[in-house]
Amino acid sequence: MRLENYLRLGFVSLFGMAIGAGLPYTVLAQEGKYGGTLVTAFSADPGGFDPARGPSGMSHVVIEQIYGTLINLDADAQPYAGLSESWTQAADGLSWTFKLREGLTFHNGEALTAEDVVYTFERIMPEDSGYAYRSQVETIDEVVAIDELTVEFRLNRVTGPFEIYMAFPGSSIVPKDLLESGHDLNAEPVGSGPFKFVSYTPRDSIQFVRNENYYETGRPYFDGMTYRIIADPTALSNGMKSGEILFSNEVPPKDWNAVISQPGIVNAALEGSRYYWMIPNHEKGPLENKLVRQAIGHALNRQAIVRGAFFGQATPILGGVIPEWNWAYAGLDVFKPEGDIEKAKALLAEAGVVPGTPLSLTMVSSWPPMMSMAPIIQANLAQIGFTAQIDTMEVPRYWDEVWGPSKFDITAMYWLSPLADPDDFVTNTYATASSVSVHLGGTEEMDDLMLAAKSAVTIEERKALYRKQQELSLEDMTVIPLVNGWVLTAHTDRLKNFKPMRTGFLKTLKDAWLE
Amino acid sequence: MLRLVLIRLASFVPTLFVASVILFVAVNVVPGSAARSALGIQATPQAIMRFEHLHGLDRPMALQYVEWAAKALVGDFGKSFQNAVAVGPEIRKRVPVTLELAAIAFVVAIFISVPLGALAGFCHQRGADVVVTTLATLFGSTPSFWLATLLIYGFALQLGWLPTGGYTAFSLDPIANIKGMLMPCIALGIVSSGLLIRIMRTAVIEVMAANFIETARSKGVSNFRLVTAHVLRNAMIPFLTVGAVEFGFLVGSVVIIEDVFRIPGVGSLVLVGIINRDYPVLLAAAMSITVIVLIINLLVDLAAQMIDPRQVRTGH
Repeated sequence: MRLENYLRLGFVSLFGMAIGAGLPYTVLAQEGKYGGTLVTAFSADPGGFDPARGPSGMSHVVIEQIYGTLINLDADAQPYAGLSESWTQAADGLSWTFKLREGLTFHNGEALTAEDVVYTFERIMPEDSGYAYRSQVETIDEVVAIDELTVEFRLNRVTGPFEIYMAFPGSSIVPKDLLESGHDLNAEPVGSGPFKFVSYTPRDSIQFVRNENYYETGRPYFDGMTYRIIADPTALSNGMKSGEILFSNEVPPKDWNAVISQPGIVNAALEGSRYYWMIPNHEKGPLENKLVRQAIGHALNRQAIVRGAFFGQATPILGGVIPEWNWAYAGLDVFKPEGDIEKAKALLAEAGVVPGTPLSLTMVSSWPPMMSMAPIIQANLAQIGFTAQIDTMEVPRYWDEVWGPSKFDITAMYWLSPLADPDDFVTNTYATASSVSVHLGGTEEMDDLMLAAKSAVTIEERKALYRKQQELSLEDMTVIPLVNGWVLTAHTDRLKNFKPMRTGFLKTLKDAWLE
Repeated sequence: MLRLVLIRLASFVPTLFVASVILFVAVNVVPGSAARSALGIQATPQAIMRFEHLHGLDRPMALQYVEWAAKALVGDFGKSFQNAVAVGPEIRKRVPVTLELAAIAFVVAIFISVPLGALAGFCHQRGADVVVTTLATLFGSTPSFWLATLLIYGFALQLGWLPTGGYTAFSLDPIANIKGMLMPCIALGIVSSGLLIRIMRTAVIEVMAANFIETARSKGVSNFRLVTAHVLRNAMIPFLTVGAVEFGFLVGSVVIIEDVFRIPGVGSLVLVGIINRDYPVLLAAAMSITVIVLIINLLVDLAAQMIDPRQVRTGH
């Protein structure tokens, strides 16, 4: 280690001791090594770099490196100080006040102040803003700059996941003056995050360089990062196996065992929030009847789906869709992992469904897990007397012809919840007004429950309400939960101090180093 | 010669016009909307309307075409629907990469097909001919992506001699550039050689039957000189003419290989353009490939005429 690194490390240690609990645990003295470029691999191109526009998960893992948010989430989804050094919630829960750190700057050298925070949210709050996650900001009435470093958010309703929303990449603070001068963040993103944007070549790579002025002193450790975009899953696995790629959290399940059995590769997989569910069309024939939907739910052999479609790298969902690692997990074990054909048959008999009833199962052809699980589901449906036909379709046509107009009997979908808040698992899928609720079902009672759960003040209240909602969802069987896929992260053993996040986000890379 | 070049260049205009109209109509009538592809799972009707209005997709197709063509003529191919990257500069960066890939692959194909095709032609209906013809069938019917996978397994994963993929510009690191290009070019070259071997073989058989070969033999010209000075030179003309078509085909067939080997050329843009219904990207990438193929055909015609000037006189 060079002398300057010792000095820097010493400073970090002193700084950590001085500020103590005010900083995340990761900042406290750990011997890190500076330098190197982390080469990572992802399967898809980002959909832009403007936090207000980038709708895709791939955009977010870029945005979170370049921009800063008021609050950060650690690997356990616990909030810690981001751009704001402290924040408080008013007693009535209807306003939040954030105190920004002093001396914050954007990558272009301009100061980051309360005005930038106000501008950021005023940009995404209007109904016609086009912001894909507007539901996160719809309870904000106004954002007010109290002074240069103090911002107050005034809400029209108590919002349980508010802190989580403030840590979301879409809530990244953007430079007001730069944007007002006509700058396009999609062409050249400018933020205040740990890494600066260098270049983007579609279908090839995104290059980052360390932000020397990052507010967390001593972070990040890498000189730079390269995000390689490798659409072909086998090419991605080959890159990992040959050592050209040092990190990926998108290792294809089919190659997982081959990749992690390579010497020098660390298995950092963990159950995340990429859950799959089957969608029965509530307006199609026998599926109108909840007993039929329940019967299908019980007939499915989720263990076989885990083995056959995920090569063991998933957890069967046996009850509500909120996973076991989340604080709102309800432990409702309604389904048997291998399915319960007898129970399913009894439910169908009660519903009066005639054996041999035809059903179609429409799947996206380019999503391997969907294609692999289709024959398993088809076989399970046959066991209880349905004649299911599998239809496949490429993604753009699927969105247009199947998903958009709800033109299917049964289909399946997955959702990588970008938030660790339980609301994100249920509202999108179950709320009748959600763009994802193509099942054409749902109930007012469930909508009210989800809204109440989101607006409750204490965790205990929220947990009880989510439990009730999940019980109701299994009774109505609005959708049929399948499995929760793991975040398949593997990396070189030279990468140290990396803590994987269940949301698939990579903010924790700033705390890791290469040896 | 200059007149011929000018006439051929002028013929590019209607060809490109027709090609662009066909492409434009094709991308607009295929099922699957650009808005939904760009917006994904959370595409609300309002978001879709906003997207279509922003990109002018809610206007008549003819109007969209005229606007696109007017801008394309001055090199402005618009911005990607997916990531707002300017398409024109992106294409300009990628064309040399695809050309390098196709050109080296073509050289590989020639190195395989000329000697093998000539050998088969000389040994017409003998053992070597049967072996070479069988090989040509095998090469021509092998999918290049399958061959690519085998090469990666052998040379990158097992032996560790070559990278599994990726591209380094020649100007940055010539050795890394060649190492990265070897496997994709071999995969493409071997498959292309299937057809070229047959063309070479047929051309050699035809030349061997010509009167001037008999005359040369009777004059006592050695076999080596007969082949190099007479047979190959004459056989190269039909070979090059068909070769040009094959080279054009190579440029068009890099799509999958670029993806497998992570080479940032035009082909991978075609693929991403189709998958995402990203029309500005798809149109620009496909049109640039059309222009490349037209120019290559022109160059090869000119080369063929330099080898055999009779083609100009007889109007072939």
